[in-house]
Amino acid sequence: MTDLPKSNDLTATWTFVEPGLELIIGGNDENAGVNPKMYMNVYSAIYNFCIKKSSSATSLSSNAANQSSLLVGGEIYKKLSGYLISYVKLLKKRPNETFLEFYVRRWTRFTVGAGYLNHVFDYMNRYWIQKERSDGRREIYDVNTLALLTWRDHLFDKNIDILTKEILEQIKLQRDNQVVDNRTLSVAIRSFVLLGIDTNDLKKPNLNVYIEKFEAPFLESTRQYYTSESAEYLTSHNVIDYMKKAEQRINEEETRETLYLDEHSKKPLTDCLNETLIVNHSEIMYKEFTNLLDQNQIEHIAKMFSLFNRIPSTLDPLAATFSEYIKIQGNKAIENLKNDYSNELNKNGITPTSILITKQIDPKQYIRSLIQVYKTFQDIVATAFQNNPIFVKALDSACRDYINENSIAKPNGSRQNSRTPDLLAKYSDTLLKRSKDADSTTDMSVDDIMIIFKFLTDKDAFEANYRRLLAKRLIHGSSSSEEAEESVVQRLQSENSLEYTSKITRMFQDVRASHDLRNLFKEETSKDLNFSKSIVPDFEPYILTEMMWPFNHTDSKFQLPNVLTPTFTKLQQLYQNKHNGRILKWQWSLCRGDVRANLSRPGKAPFTFSLSLYQMAILLPFNESESYSLGEIVKLTGLELNVISNQIAPLVKHKVLIQSTGSTLDDLYTRIKICTEYKAKRLKINFAGLVKNTEQKQEQEDTEREINDDRKMYIKACIVRIMKTRKQLLHNLLINEVIQQTHQRFSAKISDIKKCVDELVEKEYLSRNEDQTYDYLA
Amino acid sequence: MSSQLIKITTSDEETFKVERSIVERSVLLKHLLSDLEYDETDEDAEPIPLPNVRASVFKKVLEWAEHHKNTNFPDDEDEDARKSAPIDEWDREFLKVVDQEMLYEIILAANYLNIRPLLDAGCKTVAEMIRGKSAEEIRRTFNIVNDFSPEEEAAIKRENEWAEDR
Repeated sequence: MTDLPKSNDLTATWTFVEPGLELIIGGNDENAGVNPKMYMNVYSAIYNFCIKKSSSATSLSSNAANQSSLLVGGEIYKKLSGYLISYVKLLKKRPNETFLEFYVRRWTRFTVGAGYLNHVFDYMNRYWIQKERSDGRREIYDVNTLALLTWRDHLFDKNIDILTKEILEQIKLQRDNQVVDNRTLSVAIRSFVLLGIDTNDLKKPNLNVYIEKFEAPFLESTRQYYTSESAEYLTSHNVIDYMKKAEQRINEEETRETLYLDEHSKKPLTDCLNETLIVNHSEIMYKEFTNLLDQNQIEHIAKMFSLFNRIPSTLDPLAATFSEYIKIQGNKAIENLKNDYSNELNKNGITPTSILITKQIDPKQYIRSLIQVYKTFQDIVATAFQNNPIFVKALDSACRDYINENSIAKPNGSRQNSRTPDLLAKYSDTLLKRSKDADSTTDMSVDDIMIIFKFLTDKDAFEANYRRLLAKRLIHGSSSSEEAEESVVQRLQSENSLEYTSKITRMFQDVRASHDLRNLFKEETSKDLNFSKSIVPDFEPYILTEMMWPFNHTDSKFQLPNVLTPTFTKLQQLYQNKHNGRILKWQWSLCRGDVRANLSRPGKAPFTFSLSLYQMAILLPFNESESYSLGEIVKLTGLELNVISNQIAPLVKHKVLIQSTGSTLDDLYTRIKICTEYKAKRLKINFAGLVKNTEQKQEQEDTEREINDDRKMYIKACIVRIMKTRKQLLHNLLINEVIQQTHQRFSAKISDIKKCVDELVEKEYLSRNEDQTYDYLA
Repeated sequence: MSSQLIKITTSDEETFKVERSIVERSVLLKHLLSDLEYDETDEDAEPIPLPNVRASVFKKVLEWAEHHKNTNFPDDEDEDARKSAPIDEWDREFLKVVDQEMLYEIILAANYLNIRPLLDAGCKTVAEMIRGKSAEEIRRTFNIVNDFSPEEEAAIKRENEWAEDR
């Protein structure tokens, strides 16, 4: 233990430690190890040297005051620095190795050695170096840093070009599918990071050297490599193969990145690959997209998406193509349906015109065609595009387009409102109506209604049409189930708004209240047995709130048959007692009833005829006499002749009534005779349903007008609401806000909005200023 | 494996067998063990020499390390917290019972072996011995000969008058 050198002798100390350093840093024999003794000797020698002044005294007490701030180390530091420089300068490449191999071999050993050195010189690090640095001597470094800087200044900087060149050559070989040593690359590249020492702040990682000397040339060579490879590949392969290749290349580069690149290069490398492999060839891939859709190549579409998805901005053109494609497919589906139907009409000898087809097309087939297209592409969005929002949006906008505008919805490009809301209402009617043929609705569903509903621009038109058909189902009791009806209303309400279904809800309320009234009526009339005989059995009154139901009251002339008068009077009286002051208007044309007709041949059961109230009024007088002229019937019923001829037609056609030969039903002198021995296959016959509905066209127009009137009201309400809060607003801003507020219900035409504004100005709700603004007038 | 002990030889050729976790209280030895990939389970493992520490001092250091086997010392980086922290009660007692010479040797050994908490405790103990004492009392405590001339002493006193505790 006494073999340590004298602590105050610099030369002796250095001579003593140098062989140890040689072993630590890896001199001639790289593999020679250091033993604990040598390790401790070097440490102790340095320690002793550094504390020599104070330890030379017998105890702390002697001149401690003078020495307290004097730390020793400068001479040793200089020696060490010189040693490291000459060591690094003397490193030599072996004749059979490349520079890269030499560099990595020596660097690996050197960095381990530098770590050791840092530890055996720990005492110097701890005191002298720290003091020097805190005194502002920035050119003094801890031993590890000193070693790295020496390496950088005397070996790395001088050979950086050849080093980078050889690294890039290796990477190129690897890209060309040759086996290279990943570890060598990793170590060499990592040295660029470790040598990026910021001499002002040693703790701060500094990637300048890495970025400038390695990353930049690396990216450039990557760009060159893939630019030429991809261009070449595409001359001999198709796009699908290319996409596979690009995907494979990207995966390879990502592995490479984790194997030996610094985190920092991740983004620039990704950008470089995206540009050379995807963006530069996006046009040719976009072109292929339509073909892939045509062939339903979901897997390839998914691949294309995953490539483009790497660069979000490149998705937009793809989504636009997708949207356009769906529109075309949607229109094509409708065109096919139209052609099928017109062929059918041709077979039946009818000349098909667009307008005729639109009027007669089966709503179920129409809606199903629309939905099928939607579902096909929704599927693609889910599987190939992973429900990416851009594509969901593209699908939605395409659907909104073809669902509202196609050759059936707007025949001959008409400027009228789309027929889709009407057809969807009819589809709903088919689904909700009680039907003899249960199978006809098995492939229909409320979900399908909701799918189309979501895309309707004219939701108000759907509401009006739906309500018109619902009204009939309600008062004729032809709904298949109340639950089904209500569930649809529920769904509409949650999809749109409470307000949207308010009228429909009111209709249901009316029906319920009417049922209560019927029970009350029954109760009241059953008290008086004599009276109850004069009342129509099973009388079902419906009290409908006028504004909520799609019926126009027309004061038609009509003479209620005497048999019905007691019922009529009793109900009036009952209702007026309950709700004083309310006015009941009777919708005669909507009333129906069953009569028993004793017209059978003797011994046979009597018939039951379902009749409209008008038909009933026409038939009842035949109890008194066997024949009447039409003129007499006009007088008895109070009805117009044209109404009578329309109502009587099915009765004549089915030979309940017989008209005199050679006469017409619009002649007051035509005589009508009752058949006394009626023959028919069934006992129950519905004549009410056979009346040719001259009102249908009327109804259509009424609905149309109602929709337009409602829209105007709605737009005006919007304008007033907006102006009331804003007080003053520019014309364009007002228009925009109105469009925004109405789009939940319908797409407002600008010309309509302008008209409404004009009307409001006229009525002095608003005033127009010179500068294109409006003021709200309270 | 964990029961294998590391042999450490002091300057006066005495060999101690110590658990690795205790050895590693010394940052110097901890670095050595990891740098040399020291394997104490190897029968032929060379003992580690400590040319600067005597057995009697090393024993005290080991006693301290044994006691603090499970102590979690605060982060070395936080200089201020370390400086202002009071001396651990056990450490105070531990350092009080040794004589002054031993106290200095422990401090030196802690410095040499790089055992920061022990070095801190030692230095703080010395600081406490100085705190609140007059120059004469300090001289007595540390057995220091006054080598100032009376004139020098008077001059120093004048210069430092502001610091006198009155």
